[in-house]
Amino acid sequence: MTRIVAVAANTYRETVRERVLYNLVFFALLMTVSGLVMKQLSIRQDERIIKDIGLAAMELFGTLIAVFIGVGLVSKEIERRSLYPLLAKPLDRSEFVLGKFAGLGFTLLVNVGVMTAGLYLTLAATRGALDSNLLKAVYTIFLGLLLVVALALLFSAVSSSMLAAVGTVILVVAGRFSDVIRNMKQVAPATPDWLSVGLYYALPNFASLDLKRRVVHLDPVSATDLAWITLYAAAYLIVVLGLALTVFRSREFV
Amino acid sequence: MGNSGGTPALETTGLSKSYPTGVLHRGRRSALEELTLSVPRGEVFGYLGPNGAGKTTTLKLLLGLLRPDRGAARILGVPHTERGWRYRAGYLPENPYLYDYLTPLEYLDYAGRLFGMPRPERGERSRQVLERVGLAASARIPLRRFSKGMLQRAGLAQALLNDPELVFLDEPMSGLDPLGRHMVKEVILDLRSRGRTVIFSTHILSDAESLCDRVGLLRAGRLVTVGRLDEILRIDVSHLEVLVSGVGSVILERLPGLKGRRALGERWSLEVEEKSLGTVVQAVQQAGGRVLSVLPVRESLEDYFLREMGA
Repeated sequence: MTRIVAVAANTYRETVRERVLYNLVFFALLMTVSGLVMKQLSIRQDERIIKDIGLAAMELFGTLIAVFIGVGLVSKEIERRSLYPLLAKPLDRSEFVLGKFAGLGFTLLVNVGVMTAGLYLTLAATRGALDSNLLKAVYTIFLGLLLVVALALLFSAVSSSMLAAVGTVILVVAGRFSDVIRNMKQVAPATPDWLSVGLYYALPNFASLDLKRRVVHLDPVSATDLAWITLYAAAYLIVVLGLALTVFRSREFV
Repeated sequence: MGNSGGTPALETTGLSKSYPTGVLHRGRRSALEELTLSVPRGEVFGYLGPNGAGKTTTLKLLLGLLRPDRGAARILGVPHTERGWRYRAGYLPENPYLYDYLTPLEYLDYAGRLFGMPRPERGERSRQVLERVGLAASARIPLRRFSKGMLQRAGLAQALLNDPELVFLDEPMSGLDPLGRHMVKEVILDLRSRGRTVIFSTHILSDAESLCDRVGLLRAGRLVTVGRLDEILRIDVSHLEVLVSGVGSVILERLPGLKGRRALGERWSLEVEEKSLGTVVQAVQQAGGRVLSVLPVRESLEDYFLREMGA
């Protein structure tokens, strides 16, 4: 466990020293604050627009951070051979992968925290209600980001940074449109059921994690809803991380 | 530590590795064949061979970065696939790339945590090894500002952090200036004096000759020779090197037993057969010249290497 923490701490240190991280967080906060202007321009001057933009910015820029830092987590270490002296030490390959996941996960937690604070400050500036239900959407956004990190890590363990980025982006986009895939038969009648159903269950269902609209429109989100979402995300994470560990453990470093 | 325990520091039996070739990976190219080797504790062992001979492949197999097709290895008495020996070993890869964004102190702290060292010990050991490799003054400078030689020193520092019983060094002199090479030699000799085992791969033969108790010579994945230098090298004097002055080339052409000659300004360096020395000295003196020195020449590791490689 101490070695996982050591790798995670180093990964966190690595990510917070990445310039791209600060650029993305800056743009996310800028987008959130721009909600103030959008509110003025909208007909009802509704604070929902601030929540909408703030949560969307959090998800979009969080995903960009998860993908573009995540895909380099393992592949860069292999390409630059910085991994070799680490694996010569009493560090198991599984500990390395889990430490990398935990490190970037913690970075994203801090970022999501900063962006959430930015969103609440923007709402406070408009004297809007500080709706604690927003935190439910923030929580599921964070779960989604962890899924993206796990997918990026899986690709990163088997391919170069570039291929890992392409693979992760394809899965993340496909996962956002999983409902479309399930109903593919309506558009392409020749599609066999096993394919559309199989893809629907195999792809990460990011749509099911999305509580943004419900929270913004003040639809109730029960504890049971959150529990199911958590269970789904945890199960998917375990499968993807398990795959990443299996692949990475069997890799040879020629 | 050190010489404790009767088991060898390294023992391999029939270790073999091949790599797939071709787009469809249908062919195999052998990189290491049936490596059977034993390195006792406390020895400095030089693992020699030209580029592509299989030196780095061997080290990667031992460290678990590659899996052997066949064979087995034991390191410090335990199977190489187990974790236990890694607490007692160090490894410097060839041309190490360390993390750009860390300083040497931060990198060593990270490495120390992987060994499970408590914080005070990490700090103390980090300072000691940075001092040892001559990087104490650069301990807080990010590694991205380091030259190749400084990175090599930082890599060596992490290999020594846990005061290892066995150190694997892959081309440790690579990229170092003369001062750096001297430092690495001092480190290796210091490790030996404290009973540690050092296994290092190199193609710089003069380094191996001055440091190694034994060497192993690898050619195209096969270990062709292992032994002490005085066993491997021909100890007979192959010829004498005689330095003379005050004689012209016309005289030298008539000398008996002369295997070769080289002009050094107004002097000549002559390669003379041992049995012809008296005749040559007499002839030089009779021609009004002077004999400045006579040196016996034995086979060097480089001569041996070239002979074995068929060059």
